[in-house]
Amino acid sequence: MNPEPGMNKKTRASGADRWLLLSALLLAGFGLIMVLSSSGIMAERIYQDKYLFFKKQALFAVLGAGLMYVCSRTPRKMIYSLTYLWVTAAIGLLFICALTPLGVSAGGAKRWISLGPLSLQPLEFAKPALILYLAYFFARKQDMVKTFSVGFLPPFLLTGLLCLLLLIQPDFGGAVFLAGLLFFMCLVGGTRLGYLLLSVIFAGGAGWLLISSSPYRFKRLTAFLDPFKSAQDEGYQLVQSLYAFGSGQIFGAGLGAGKQKLFFLPEAHNDFIMAVVGEELGFVGLSLIFLVIGFLLWRGFRIALDQDDLQDRFTAYGLVLILALGFMLNLAVALGAVPPKGVPMPFVSYGGSSLLVSFICVGLLLNLSRRAR
Amino acid sequence: MAGTNAKRRDSSRTKLVLVVFVFALIWAGLWFRAGWIQIYKGPLLHALASRQNLAAEFERGERGRIFDRRGNLLATSVESKSLYIRPLEIANPEQAKRRLAAILGIPAAVLDKALGSRSNFVWIKRQITDKQALAVEDLGLAGVYLTTEHNRLYPNGHLAGQVLGFVGVDGAGLEGVERAMEPRLAGGQARFVVQRDAAGRRLYLDDMGREMDIDGRDVRLTIDSHIQSAAEQALAEAVRRYEARAGVAMAVQVKSGEILALANYPFFNPNIYRDTRPELRKPRALTDVYEPGSTLKPFLFAAALEEGAISPDKIFFCENGRWRVGGRTIRDHHPHAWLPAHKVLRYSSNIGSAKIAQSIGAAAYHRYLRGLGFGEPADIGLSGESCGLLRGPEQWRTIDLATIAFGQGVGATALQLARAYLCLANKGLLVPLKLFQDPARPRPEPRRVFSQNTADRVLAMMREVVQEDGTGTRARIPGLTVAGKTGTAQKASPAGGYGDEFMSSFVGLVPGEDPELLFLVLVDEPKSNNYGGVVAAPAVRDMALKSLAYYGRLPDDPADQAPAQAGQAGPDPAQAVLAGQSEPGALVPDIRGLPVRRAMELLMRKGIVPKIKGRGMVVSGQRPVAGDRWPGAEKKGQDDVFILWVS
Repeated sequence: MNPEPGMNKKTRASGADRWLLLSALLLAGFGLIMVLSSSGIMAERIYQDKYLFFKKQALFAVLGAGLMYVCSRTPRKMIYSLTYLWVTAAIGLLFICALTPLGVSAGGAKRWISLGPLSLQPLEFAKPALILYLAYFFARKQDMVKTFSVGFLPPFLLTGLLCLLLLIQPDFGGAVFLAGLLFFMCLVGGTRLGYLLLSVIFAGGAGWLLISSSPYRFKRLTAFLDPFKSAQDEGYQLVQSLYAFGSGQIFGAGLGAGKQKLFFLPEAHNDFIMAVVGEELGFVGLSLIFLVIGFLLWRGFRIALDQDDLQDRFTAYGLVLILALGFMLNLAVALGAVPPKGVPMPFVSYGGSSLLVSFICVGLLLNLSRRAR
Repeated sequence: MAGTNAKRRDSSRTKLVLVVFVFALIWAGLWFRAGWIQIYKGPLLHALASRQNLAAEFERGERGRIFDRRGNLLATSVESKSLYIRPLEIANPEQAKRRLAAILGIPAAVLDKALGSRSNFVWIKRQITDKQALAVEDLGLAGVYLTTEHNRLYPNGHLAGQVLGFVGVDGAGLEGVERAMEPRLAGGQARFVVQRDAAGRRLYLDDMGREMDIDGRDVRLTIDSHIQSAAEQALAEAVRRYEARAGVAMAVQVKSGEILALANYPFFNPNIYRDTRPELRKPRALTDVYEPGSTLKPFLFAAALEEGAISPDKIFFCENGRWRVGGRTIRDHHPHAWLPAHKVLRYSSNIGSAKIAQSIGAAAYHRYLRGLGFGEPADIGLSGESCGLLRGPEQWRTIDLATIAFGQGVGATALQLARAYLCLANKGLLVPLKLFQDPARPRPEPRRVFSQNTADRVLAMMREVVQEDGTGTRARIPGLTVAGKTGTAQKASPAGGYGDEFMSSFVGLVPGEDPELLFLVLVDEPKSNNYGGVVAAPAVRDMALKSLAYYGRLPDDPADQAPAQAGQAGPDPAQAVLAGQSEPGALVPDIRGLPVRRAMELLMRKGIVPKIKGRGMVVSGQRPVAGDRWPGAEKKGQDDVFILWVS
């Protein structure tokens, strides 16, 4: 399946996509600044160290950059051959997190595994693992992909298992994210559209059941439709986020000068960091971020399109998907376009696991870009 | 195989492009939504956010303090807590009533009324103690609020009371320095934006402190508390001894024009301004216009010397005490026949002065009086200053020229008189008066009115007034030369013409050869005697002695060390002042249990600086005990006049 050297004159011996690398590093650096700006006051008050979150994030940024380099240099064959190991590890981590005392509870959900001073969020690592598996599956089972038992069931069962472990935590948002990955992989991978449609209806029904069975989720959904009606309760977070964006207006309040992070906006350094960006840098600053994000995704998708090998292409595509879904879902939640779910902004939000995985995705994409076409 | 794979690659490629397109749409849609929220909805959302971030919480900065030239505190603000409720927010009125009544010790009936109010805001008690505030805070009752208020405190009681002025209930300065410096002293309020976090805490970012400085700025006066105190004692003594209506005393540094003391009697204690009559509150030295009488004569002499109309030895016929001029008769207190010019001043002859005035003419005399600042406010920066009364020379009739020569028919404030004398003391240069050291006010350049030679010659004549057999001998200080001039002006009666009321004055310059300090005393309507040389001169001497002693400049002659009032009956002025301050009859209250700060405040209002023993916040013991008389002046100078034990 590998193209013969003679047939492809455009083959670049080692030309990792520098533009992708540059935009990723830009975002990560920007994220560090915003983590400091949005967490400083909170960290000072609660931990008496305003640089606490910044220092942790900086440590993970250095670790992540190292991981990125490793991922970009490791032979793909080795990564691909260990696909089942990655998947097993992801299942194991999620299992440990949800069903053993090692899982750390925060805000009523066990989403982290404690590792001394740091903690690890298995969901983040499950994303690339799932993508590697799905890419492998759709590339290898291309001939039988239209069949039900071989082409349809395995990826759905595996994703379903991961989602189930997430729902036990409970992490509804994480489950939706993985389902979204599956959906977009199936779309390109060649699953019968009929099956896909059915499964979307099925997933939608299940989702609706889950939502309507839990008053908490139901309220959050309805609050999203008119957040100002319940500004003190369910709509609080979204209202505060919109206040932040609105306060920024065109040019913003200035870096560090935001008011909403003063304990008005929950998770200001985390899932709602883009609201702080919007308030402090205004629409102008936010637009620059949109451009960097758009550029990064475009480079990523181009790497996928440039791949000749199907597994390479699906892998690249899936890795871009992780970033793209992260960017879009996070922004959509912060801007009140979809119901609130805890989705971190890749590279920007505070969180070691998310940052590491984002770097891993870009590292693998760089790896693929080097030998593209 | 290769063919189908290629086909699949192509189909996956098509679908991938489709997905890219979908994401591009989502990306553009979110970008658009961001713009819509930030730009279109921005102003509305911003206003809503501001309302929560900058909630209707406005606070007043602390009012600036007032210091004397040496940094002694003349006025300051103390913080106190006040309690108010919002009745509609109180869930359990019965419980709130019981608890508040227990803490504050106010009758339940009063609370009933407040709790039953439909109003949104009801004061329960203002200026509660720290202990009570803490107890109320601990209750944590909804609808019960504490707020911080600043109260003005003048630690020295009535010292320079009228100069300092006072602050009204709404915190705005209403008189004196408090009023004149209102924009500087006042703490900011409207412009202060309190940044609050979600928990309602005020935010201070690290060392940046307050994000905005809302405290008022301090003011420093040229007043010296010690000399002010000496002036007030001397003035009080003079006014009381001669049962006068009122009085003014001033001390000024000659070279700089800086006012060291500006005393107005009766005294005014701004701490209790509510209990005082409004006329007590005004600084007479600025607002009241007097006919200066003979204290104006040195300027006539200076003008005549400057014009070359006289020399000190030129002889004038003083008509043996009665002279008819312009249809009226003017008199001298002590009849003289022929006098040389310098003795006209020494003996303060009205007739001699009138003749000198005639020799220079109305226009020239008026020009010099204008040049000395008569008819023009001294402009020291306090409001309410009068510019005196000086008519144009074209309106002067013959008799007017004659009387204005000895200071009748012309009106001046004490400030104007002091400024004019500064000109003689400063060798003919008119130096503006100064009350504010910081902030410094723009002042006109000193202007020359007389030549140095003229000023020296008039000063020499003024030395004769005190040192020879003149009218001001009671201002003598052995071992030192004093120059001065007495004044005994008849006061115009409301009915017209002149009555039997007098205004006795004395201006002294020390040392007489090269003056450094100027002292001025005006005593309004003294009863038993009315000569300036008798009523006012001893007060100037008293002030001068105390000031020189304070500066360590008293001559070494042992005879000088005798008290100023030696051999004379009468109460010690210090005692008199203190007694006035202590409100005779009032007894020491029980201050045990009060926070130290409140106790200090209470005692300082009585003019007492207590000695504190022990460490802590609350007074546990006191001496003298409750019910005793306030410590009198006999204990003045001891540091254990009042002892507080704290724990």
